[in-house]
Amino acid sequence: MSAPSLRMATAEPRWLRWTLTGIGLAFLFFFLALPLLAVFYEALAGGWSAYLQALKEPETLHAVGLTLFIALFVMPFNVMVGVAAAWAIAKFEFRGKSLLITLIDLPFAVSPVVVGLVFLLIFGAQGIFGPWLSAHDVKIVFALPGMVIVTLFITFPFVARELIPLMQAQGREEEEAAISLGATGWNMFWRVTLPNIKWGLLYGVILANARAMGEFGAVSVVSGHIRGETNTLPLHVEILYNEYNAVGAFASASVLALLALVTLVAKTLVEWQMRRETETLDTVLPAEAVRSKE
Amino acid sequence: MNKRVLPGFGLSLGVTLVYLSLLILLPLSGLVFKSSSLSLTQFWDIASGERALASYRVTFGASLLAALINALFGLIVAWMLVRYPFPGKRLVDSLVDLPFALPTAVAGITLATLYAGNGWIGRHLEPLGLKVAFTPLGIVVALTFISLPFVVRTLQPVIEDIEPEIEEAAASLGASRLHTFTRVLFPAIFPALLTGFTLAFSRAIGEYGSVIFIAGNMPLISEITPLLIISKLEQYDVVGATALACVMLAISFLLLLGVNAIQWWAANRHQGDHQGPERASQ
Amino acid sequence: MSIEICGVGKRFGNFVALDNIDLHIPTGELVALLGPSGCGKTTLLRIIAGMESADSGNVKFAGAEATHLHARERKVGFVFQHYALFRHMTVFENVAFGLRVKAKTERPSEAEIRRRVMDLLKLVQLDWLAERYPSQLSGGQRQRIALARALAVEPKVLLLDEPFGALDTKVRKELRRWLRRLHDEMHISSVFVTHDQEEALEVADRVVVMNHGRIEQIGTPDEVYSNPASPFVYQFLGNVNVFHSRVHGNWADVGRDGVDKMDNTAPEGQAMAFVRPHDIDIEHVQVAGGLEAMVQDVHAIGPLVRVELAHASELIEVELTRERATVLNLVKGQCVWLKPRQVKVFKVAETALEEGGSGI
Repeated sequence: MSAPSLRMATAEPRWLRWTLTGIGLAFLFFFLALPLLAVFYEALAGGWSAYLQALKEPETLHAVGLTLFIALFVMPFNVMVGVAAAWAIAKFEFRGKSLLITLIDLPFAVSPVVVGLVFLLIFGAQGIFGPWLSAHDVKIVFALPGMVIVTLFITFPFVARELIPLMQAQGREEEEAAISLGATGWNMFWRVTLPNIKWGLLYGVILANARAMGEFGAVSVVSGHIRGETNTLPLHVEILYNEYNAVGAFASASVLALLALVTLVAKTLVEWQMRRETETLDTVLPAEAVRSKE
Repeated sequence: MNKRVLPGFGLSLGVTLVYLSLLILLPLSGLVFKSSSLSLTQFWDIASGERALASYRVTFGASLLAALINALFGLIVAWMLVRYPFPGKRLVDSLVDLPFALPTAVAGITLATLYAGNGWIGRHLEPLGLKVAFTPLGIVVALTFISLPFVVRTLQPVIEDIEPEIEEAAASLGASRLHTFTRVLFPAIFPALLTGFTLAFSRAIGEYGSVIFIAGNMPLISEITPLLIISKLEQYDVVGATALACVMLAISFLLLLGVNAIQWWAANRHQGDHQGPERASQ
Repeated sequence: MSIEICGVGKRFGNFVALDNIDLHIPTGELVALLGPSGCGKTTLLRIIAGMESADSGNVKFAGAEATHLHARERKVGFVFQHYALFRHMTVFENVAFGLRVKAKTERPSEAEIRRRVMDLLKLVQLDWLAERYPSQLSGGQRQRIALARALAVEPKVLLLDEPFGALDTKVRKELRRWLRRLHDEMHISSVFVTHDQEEALEVADRVVVMNHGRIEQIGTPDEVYSNPASPFVYQFLGNVNVFHSRVHGNWADVGRDGVDKMDNTAPEGQAMAFVRPHDIDIEHVQVAGGLEAMVQDVHAIGPLVRVELAHASELIEVELTRERATVLNLVKGQCVWLKPRQVKVFKVAETALEEGGSGI
């Protein structure tokens, strides 16, 4: 290209471009990259053996197990209800729809501490069902069921939020075509709807999962912090940190940070996949589309 | 209503409403029900106690500051990610979501360590007389971290959708780049910026996990409202905790409505009921 | 203000958008850049406006070097195909924009801005819409506002990129005539881009026909239509019948029969003859230099009658007036004689490059 090129009407002067890029990258470096590096640095501050030793603590292992168990347990609920909510909202018109959408967002807006407190008030010793529960010897608060319930509350919106715009954009023609061709409801769902939303669904599940594994405030209120019993990994990090066991705290934190990185990678891959599919859909020629169906 | 072609409306809406009611609506109304055992004066006394007022100041002040920081830098980051090429852009783009993925407790202990007097960053700030960790400033840092993606992620698609013709039109009419930005581009992205800001603010107000590690948690100085609720619970003051939780819940509701109102306004602000007969079809 | 374009070239990767373009647009003319999509016409317009930079060559405004001038310093009015109105501003504020962003020393007073904007809105006959937002206007109204906005800064040159492309036929015709009137009143140079030959021929003083990043012909609408410089221009500017032929001296052989060769400049050798459908007569009796053909189909299309005929393996299209068609009373399967009134012959070497267009 020839030398003194004209500055485009839609571009900033070069010095400004560089300055803004510099400011942006510096901001992200100090607020994102540096903390991420620090987690692993602190975890390995005492060397590899200390790090592995810290991870091998039975209480740490139990916390890892509990965290994964809760995350896996809530996943099917989120998928089922998320898909159901998105199906009703995206494919049908009914009164109070926008109110329903707002209510689905509610768990995002409520402070986790308030969420924990709410379930304490219902199931706790002085709570509404407290006397009944203790009479029947059922433990919900300060036990696993309470932790699962608050996690369900906290992660409820993710799948539906992801699917509603996607399914609205896809419209209902494909499903209507399936029904007009004689498909049953289940047939239509498994063969037409699910293949169309699978990446969006996976995306929502990944986000919900990250939140489920990382939740602190709400779980903290209802867990009771019983070591080796109701301690999830984030709660375990807190305990170790408050005991001035920095290596132990950061070792556990590094496991969570690794899970966060896995989440980011999975999320990025799914995003690429979604983008690729919309792009190929746009470029497939009608003739090719016909041929591929044959 | 007409017979619907697609199946499953009753089932899917039924499942959604039952689940939503049992898991979310009924428990939340339980909170309001519980607090109704208080008289209005009692409620007011708790909600406007000295420590409570101080905690609101800290929570809202720090959240506002964090949301403002994110609005400014989030705008720059979103602009940079959409408009400017630089190596490693996709990596940086993915990294923006880190605060969504990283558990808040991890963020809390890490930021506390970084900004402590002997930490990588604190070490350089303290000689300047700037104490961050264990002060209200630390709260701002933690809240900035956890609410960072909101502004960027709300702005990015909006900036991507700006038609270059709009900017070319402004330039051909003699507008400088600054004029084009302030008069043409900024008004176009302002609703998204406001939405992102409100989302960040709303998230910051409820945050607990990351803040408690870096705040120092001094009553009246660096104690946030969620922490005050917890400490009331730990002193078996369930009633006091409930009253404060009600205040928080009401504010959450208001902010949620605010976000919805902004989005409605953004969608309708320049749409009259009169639609031309032959709207341009792209 | 005149525009001088010298040796301008532009590539996008491997694609040559403009190949060494030379063009002079004198003051006060309304010029159409006409060509199929991808011929480089919009790129050329954007280079004139300063929205695209040329790889080589230069652009002069009124004799003064303007190649590296930023878009905002060129004082050109630009009208976009999709209007590019500022949707958060009222119609009034859209038109006032160019005045409001002027430097303080040049900026007119608020009252003056008000007066000039309202004058312009009256000029485009939309002053009653001043307080509306663009989303509340029809496509034709939006395009007129876009024009008023471009005119507000009193440009010396008005550039329009497919200005009527997004509008429906009726509105398009109306706006075309209106643009012509406006241009005559404003005494400015205007350049507009179009792929619609009818639009170019109707509105412009001069038509620049472009193809593959090159200029094929520059001339008045009449010149380019009746005396096309290349097969491409011939085919692009209307329906055409193409005959493969051999040129012998003053004659061009078409099929087995001889056709009068009217264009004496055509060189010897393999050639193609171009005849417009309305330049062919049909006779029931044999005529000298005529071609025998069989009637395949007869369609009445509005004021014209289109006849499809087969000559050897070639399909020939002829357009007759209704009166002539009534006199001839053609029926399918009938054998008739064709007599071209006007033929243009091009050497095969040139024509081989050119495929497509709207001919047969």
